Amino acid sequence: MDLGVIGAAIGAGLAAIGAGIGIGRIGASAMEAIGRQPEATDKIRTNMIIIAALVEGVALFAVVICFLAL
Amino acid sequence: MGLLQPESGLVFWMLLSFVIVFILLAKYGFPVILRAIDSRKEYIDASLEAAREAERKLENIRSDGRKLLDEAEQRQREILREASETREQIIREARRKAESEGQRIIAAAQEQASAERDAILQDARHQVAVLAVAVSEKMLRQKLADETSQTLLAERLLDEVEQTEKQ
Amino acid sequence: MERLGKISVWLLLLLCPCLAGAQEPTKAFDAKETVLGHIGDSYEWHIASFGGHDLHVSLPVIVHSPASGWHCFSSEHLREGGEYEGLRVAAEGEHKGKIVERQADGSDLRPLDLSITKTVMGLFINSLLLLVLVLGTARWYKKRKVDSPAPRGFVGLMEILVSSLVDGLIKPCIGENYRRFVPYLLTVFCFILLNNLMGLIPIFPGGANVTGNIAVALVLAFASFLAINLFGSRAYWKEVFWPDVPAWLKVPVPLIPLIEFVGVLTKPFALMIRLFANMMAGHAVILSLTCVIFVTVEMGMAINSSMTVVSVLFSVFMNCLELLVAFLQAYVFTLLSAVFIGLAQEHKAPEKA
Repeated sequence: MDLGVIGAAIGAGLAAIGAGIGIGRIGASAMEAIGRQPEATDKIRTNMIIIAALVEGVALFAVVICFLAL
Repeated sequence: MGLLQPESGLVFWMLLSFVIVFILLAKYGFPVILRAIDSRKEYIDASLEAAREAERKLENIRSDGRKLLDEAEQRQREILREASETREQIIREARRKAESEGQRIIAAAQEQASAERDAILQDARHQVAVLAVAVSEKMLRQKLADETSQTLLAERLLDEVEQTEKQ
Repeated sequence: MERLGKISVWLLLLLCPCLAGAQEPTKAFDAKETVLGHIGDSYEWHIASFGGHDLHVSLPVIVHSPASGWHCFSSEHLREGGEYEGLRVAAEGEHKGKIVERQADGSDLRPLDLSITKTVMGLFINSLLLLVLVLGTARWYKKRKVDSPAPRGFVGLMEILVSSLVDGLIKPCIGENYRRFVPYLLTVFCFILLNNLMGLIPIFPGGANVTGNIAVALVLAFASFLAINLFGSRAYWKEVFWPDVPAWLKVPVPLIPLIEFVGVLTKPFALMIRLFANMMAGHAVILSLTCVIFVTVEMGMAINSSMTVVSVLFSVFMNCLELLVAFLQAYVFTLLSAVFIGLAQEHKAPEKA
């Protein structure tokens, strides 16, 4: 198998792990915050989505690099 | 790799259709919808305000009516109370008058009765005196020769009578 | 009755691979090629194949080459590697799957290609549909007075969508002068959402991978870039080129301004990549799951049948997930555009603690 493909696969996996950890932590904190302050649910949810999108953006950069390596 | 290279033709068509869609929607689509939604929101707010106003007016009217009713009831109670008071007073007055009248009548009757009794007593005394004189005269005419001794005796007797009476 | 229905559906699912296997026993199935072919663009809109006979929609090819000028013909002529007016679809090389023109010296040249490809056609159909839906809603409102009853059905849905986006997303994210950006953000949201949803419909009018194409995402991100920067306030530009940091960080070598400027560019770039990668990945996953059925044909009846069941179940699950993602990506694109616009709009200096 081509070395580039292996590299791309490993890279995609690492990017997925990173994004998974990041989004998981955001989700956990957001749920906790909502549990503590149910009246602020809307604000927390919006900020959660923004931060999750930022984390995901970094992961997507990694995915793009993987595509380039493929 | 090929997926990451934007095709110039696709960019061109996308730009064209997106700009057309944007212009059309930004001019004839969303402003109309937003304006309609806003104006309906205002209309609903105004309607709610009007309804609240009407509710308040109705509440005022209702409370006014209740106040009137309360007043009328109060007044009725007062009138009734006054009437009963007046009645009581009249009855008491009448009773008092009747009582005093009765007492007056009784007193007058008692007075009259005592006066009559006095008169009767006076009369009876006089009569007794006359009778006693007459009786004594007749008795003494037989026993006593002279007039003086007769009179003295009579007087003494009368005094005795009076004394017994006084006692 | 209900149980009978369930059983017959399962039987049908089990039978499907037999039929598929019976029809194309000779050709080896290439999953990667199929998935990439469906995700990518093509000059004709393939709908289905019935035992060697293809059902497809031919689309116009519009090409301008510096050597031979304008060409405009139906993609029917290019099918099965055909060559027409010196143009053909390259089977190999750098421009694989694209139209190339054979030069005099035997090399291939890529001409300016303005063809109405599958993606462009899908884009047109979806744009038209979007125009019909939104302008129809607008017409509904125009025909009615203020005191008419609230809308039901589709118009009611649009109203909920529009008012919740404006009140829940655009107003809080941008701030006081949000009004000038409302039409753009709503257009972007509806455009992306409709294209995403149409992409999930597997047959003809839908099914084109429009938002999962980088060119489409590029244009959308560029539009957001313009919206962010053309209306940026002075404070925003000062923050970019003369930020409030120690002077040595910006005078000899403009270090921080450089970073800030890169940030200005990466924001829309991240928007583009996010939309493109999410939608493309969704299509790829669903198609891969479907391909599992055809890949396992050669592994025998038992494996193939069980894998078919698994594949259908997973496809149903992925389709549900993609419905969510279709909405979420439209929402996130709009939300982040609104947030970036709001950041560029901030004219008050940040309060000092």
